[in-house]
Amino acid sequence: MSEKREGFEAEALIHLDGLYGLALRFTGGDDAAAQDLVQDTMLKAYRAWDNFQSGTNCRAWLTTILRNTFINDLRRTQKRPVPVEFDEVAERPIYPQLQGTDPEGRFFERIVDEEVIRAIEELPEDFRVPVVLADLEGLGYQEISELLEIPVGTVKSRLFRARRRLQQRLYSYAVEMGYIRRGE
Amino acid sequence: MTDDQRPPGQGVDRGGGSAAGGALGCEDAMKSVFEYLDGELPPNYSERVRRHIEMCKRCYPYFNFEQAFLDYLHDRGVKPARSDRLEERLRTLLGEVDTEEAEGCD
Ligand SMILES: [Zn+2]
Repeated sequence: MSEKREGFEAEALIHLDGLYGLALRFTGGDDAAAQDLVQDTMLKAYRAWDNFQSGTNCRAWLTTILRNTFINDLRRTQKRPVPVEFDEVAERPIYPQLQGTDPEGRFFERIVDEEVIRAIEELPEDFRVPVVLADLEGLGYQEISELLEIPVGTVKSRLFRARRRLQQRLYSYAVEMGYIRRGE
Repeated sequence: MTDDQRPPGQGVDRGGGSAAGGALGCEDAMKSVFEYLDGELPPNYSERVRRHIEMCKRCYPYFNFEQAFLDYLHDRGVKPARSDRLEERLRTLLGEVDTEEAEGCD
């Protein structure tokens, strides 16, 4: 095995599972698209491996490549985006229903990971991508606005509406599972 | 400051708040909960929100709740996933790049 290949396997390939998880969140759980995305990312990284400074944060470097690849593909293939209709109930905060019984949101901890992940992946794309960028990757509004080429105000409104939808969905799930009782 | 960056309610007095930088009302504080928790408010406005929630019995638990939600979302959302098929395919493709590059050197 070449020295380059050995270095790549030791520093980059070990992040494969993390990248694949992120790719699934980005693509809304589309497995084939997620695999293609990771594959493109890794191949780009391997071809550019000589530019990577060994010992620096490889995961962050790979994540940036993956993110840019995803967003470029998104732009290229974007059909006219369908605006997500405002849903009065689905976008309400859940805290008022919980402040009497679970004001610290302990019920979240009882929900299995798969349910949270499904909730994120099933968000409409316009909502999902800002959530992945902000809440999973920790990017700021300005950075997201530049990446997605949408105004900061749009980033905020999509992100906040998406978070409310996630809350409502997890809340309904928890009620259904009997973790909490539906408040009034 | 553009409209996009203006914190909600700023400049609009709703009883509790004044544009001059005085005490903020619950409604204004709650409206900017995510921007506050995301660290995206202008520093002086953020400071006013902080001062409000520190001493407000209604807002303090609410802000804690939303913070718990965001932490939870992050902790659970970044879950890795495993695919042996993907790894296998990738190793083959890396091998192809190796061969391609070795041939390129001749
Ligand atoms: Zn208050």
